[in-house]
Amino acid sequence: MPAQGRKVAVVGMGGAFPTCSGLQDFNDKLFSNQSLIREWDKALAYQKQLRSVVSGYITEDEMDLEMVTAPFAENYPETYIDKLGRIPDANLSTADLGSIWAMLGARDAVNMAGWSEKEVQSGQTGVVAGSGGSGNLILRVAWHHFFEEGRKSRIAGSHTVDRTMFYREAANISCFLKTKGVCEAIGSACATGLGNIGYAYRLIKFGVQDRVIAGGLEGTSLETFIGFDGMQVLSKGFKPEESSRPFDMNRNGFVCSFGCGIVALEEYEMAKARGAKILGVIDEYFNNSDGDGDMFYPSFEGQQRLWKGLMTDPGLRPDVVKVHGTSTPAGDAVELLSVVDALGESGYHISAPKSQFGHMLGGAGAVEFITAILMLENQQVLPCLNSNTLNPELEPFQKDAKWNGPDKSLAAYRDLLPLQSFSKEINRVACLNYGFGGTNSAILVSKDN
Amino acid sequence: MERQEIVNGLVEILKTVRTIDPEKLKHITEDTDLRADLNTPSTELINIAAKAEHKFGVEFEDDDIDELGSKIKDVVDLVLKAKARQNK
Repeated sequence: MPAQGRKVAVVGMGGAFPTCSGLQDFNDKLFSNQSLIREWDKALAYQKQLRSVVSGYITEDEMDLEMVTAPFAENYPETYIDKLGRIPDANLSTADLGSIWAMLGARDAVNMAGWSEKEVQSGQTGVVAGSGGSGNLILRVAWHHFFEEGRKSRIAGSHTVDRTMFYREAANISCFLKTKGVCEAIGSACATGLGNIGYAYRLIKFGVQDRVIAGGLEGTSLETFIGFDGMQVLSKGFKPEESSRPFDMNRNGFVCSFGCGIVALEEYEMAKARGAKILGVIDEYFNNSDGDGDMFYPSFEGQQRLWKGLMTDPGLRPDVVKVHGTSTPAGDAVELLSVVDALGESGYHISAPKSQFGHMLGGAGAVEFITAILMLENQQVLPCLNSNTLNPELEPFQKDAKWNGPDKSLAAYRDLLPLQSFSKEINRVACLNYGFGGTNSAILVSKDN
Repeated sequence: MERQEIVNGLVEILKTVRTIDPEKLKHITEDTDLRADLNTPSTELINIAAKAEHKFGVEFEDDDIDELGSKIKDVVDLVLKAKARQNK
């Protein structure tokens, strides 16, 4: 149960963002309506085997990292070099690419928070971070040499487990910063990023921790990309910057992207007492499952329950809804109608950051939570790029006799979906993310008053 | 293969282990202890063994690796033992 009087403040942010040199560059590109999606050279190298070749990816060089390959196993990343010396070699030796991003993001978030070394290295400081983790180079090469080449297990070296275990990012952050509190990872597919932040919120709200470093990520990985490409769910046939088009009538899939978002959360009164800059205050977090037995298809009823759980205080109405908005034919229509069902037809706007950088999978919820904080800071709504044409006809499921949601077509809600960023007073943002398995997560975050 | 030749090869391998201070590699002898003198993390020892297999063109027995000591001379002995087995 929540401990009496405890609130949760967002006091720091960091991460890794496609084409961006850092958080400020990310901010500037987003609010000037730029797309961070490019043709991906690694995908182009396998063009004949792939449907899609666009991504919001991040290279090692862009993060000032260099991969060191093992001499005895071709393409096997033995370790990485941090060209800027931000992370000690001992920590790099236990980290895959995503874990390095997580450590860098955590470092930036903690610096922004202004936590002292004593605070960071306290039993009251936890780490909760994770990724989708559906594939990576380390396991692929290690397994290839073992199974296909018949080599000894030691060919993969002694860092296969620590660099591929489920909670590797949280573990690496904790070892890097020497935190002494909770260290765990929440995994909920594409809701992972928001799920970790939501869990961290609860740890503070319930009085278990005073500070938590939380977030989600997905390290650049062609192995992950291949899985989604094989499902035929990736966007195809558009220019890179037009490939992610949530809610547009001609959308045909999502853009598989990569990135990392890490935030520093702190008990509100403690943050206030030490004079911290409060970037946002988390009002509520709620998550649930569809419960309809369907692994993939979104559930309007599940999302209705999600909104009901989130909006226990009707006074906490959002000015902006940061949607999951993947650009898949099935997902977007259900989501838009569930938002309208919960909030009505006006009085708020919808922002779809995936339209600018694609779907970062396990990183999506956390990076998009950061975009929500940036919207509060900038007092600007991020756009739904490329949502040029909304379906003027009813969706097929709206014609079902059992349908109990809005009875207008998506085109009726044009005014909710800005094609460009714009300024308005924003006091509260709702963040939504969903994942395979029918998992749904939602958070409300407000400007500090 | 001479023992010093193997020591020199091992130094080249140790230079690629980024968790070992390169300064400590300037005066390596067969009595140098990988753990005590070079502060090599225990998890890196198997990586060093795998690199030695590659560099010297041998394959160690699993039991021999299990019983491997942490001094340079232990690795030299292991390489020579594998070489001898190879030449039988």
